[in-house]
Amino acid sequence: MSSPGLEELEKEITDNVQRCWKCRMCVAMCPTYEGWFTQSTAGRLMAINLYIKHGLGSEEELSTMLYACTTCRRCQERCRMLSTDCRPADTILKARQYLVKRAELREGRES
Amino acid sequence: MSKSLKDVIPVGHTYIRDNVLEKDTLTGVSESKALWAKDLDLPKKAEYTFFAACGYQHMKYVEAMMGALKSAAKVGVGMGKVVGISKVFGKLGLDLTSITAKITASKDDPYTPVLISTVNILRKLGVEVGYLHEEEPCCGSPMYYAGFEDDYAGHARKNYEIFQSFGVRKLIGLVPACTAALKTVYPGYINGYDLEVQHLLEVVAQKLKETGIKPQYKERVKVVYHDPCQLSRYLELTDEPREIIKSIEGVELVEPDPEQCGKWSTCCGGGGLEATHPELSERIGVRRAEELLETGASVILSNCPACDLQLTRVTKKLGANVKVIDLVRLLDEALA
Repeated sequence: MSSPGLEELEKEITDNVQRCWKCRMCVAMCPTYEGWFTQSTAGRLMAINLYIKHGLGSEEELSTMLYACTTCRRCQERCRMLSTDCRPADTILKARQYLVKRAELREGRES
Repeated sequence: MSKSLKDVIPVGHTYIRDNVLEKDTLTGVSESKALWAKDLDLPKKAEYTFFAACGYQHMKYVEAMMGALKSAAKVGVGMGKVVGISKVFGKLGLDLTSITAKITASKDDPYTPVLISTVNILRKLGVEVGYLHEEEPCCGSPMYYAGFEDDYAGHARKNYEIFQSFGVRKLIGLVPACTAALKTVYPGYINGYDLEVQHLLEVVAQKLKETGIKPQYKERVKVVYHDPCQLSRYLELTDEPREIIKSIEGVELVEPDPEQCGKWSTCCGGGGLEATHPELSERIGVRRAEELLETGASVILSNCPACDLQLTRVTKKLGANVKVIDLVRLLDEALA
């Protein structure tokens, strides 16, 4: 059982975001949401999607957004009950793994 | 210009990863792991093995470290900018020894006794548990939530070998994050993972029903239960704690808004977020405490070291007349 490579992670993340209807049910669920969209689940998902697909934004910006998630899964529960079940909290976790993996590859670490 | 790992990943997380990989504990404090159990005479081998985990044992250090972090944060951590935090944590690493020396001297630690209460409760309900003492590994789950997947997978495999070498078959976990990791995340990284993992509350709820024991608390109190995220949504344990609380005589359970309890419980913002976004974490904590205080309860019960720590601190900050107690400690007193 080897962990997925970068491309696999990219596909998994963007596929999950593709399934998202942008209903924003998750936004109100997010404990970190205080008004800025990137403080919410949907905002984080869209940011990582834009980064992977179009190279928008920077890794530092993504890091600040993604690591502000508490991984409490309240959004995921809401998504499962009322929306498309795109597993938003797990996708944010995958996005963190993506950032780590990219940095490790740059540093030439064997994985 | 190539960005390195520490430019992108918050230093709080890489710090914890290094602790787990090098010292096999959460905080990197090389305290004897089995200190809490020295008077309990727990065997290494039994049908059930208790997984005590770092959480409760290291919370006293985490509390001091976070205190130092927050006072240093006035230098300008702002909205959790990665660079600001790294400077603060650099300073923190240097002060770690003096901080921990202060803590070890003080006996005022509400977290470690939770472990002793756990063993007491299990004994009162007729369950004898084993404990791996010094050999108990750190489950490494903070690494998983920080995204260090490869490090985590390697650590998990190593831990599974340790469990196998001691013939562990059934685990009883207490710290929600560790229990959830052992139960739901490990199987994804280990071929043929066959450990049976239960959370303490499952065991207790079942035993209370079987034995018909009626716990009695010494006074009448109105309590509100804060569902830790890892219990309510990762392990899906929302009925068991409520059954247990309702079975205790003298304790009245009040609930916040249905959209804020059970599987919809709001996160308290404690745990890993504190290491990277301390100010955001505190604001989330205050919001959660306000929801809980609205119920008018005089005691907040929880069952997670991170939630205990966070709620204790924010209720103190709010000046609220409320006590934060771990469910396990209350039950231990009520079973006496």
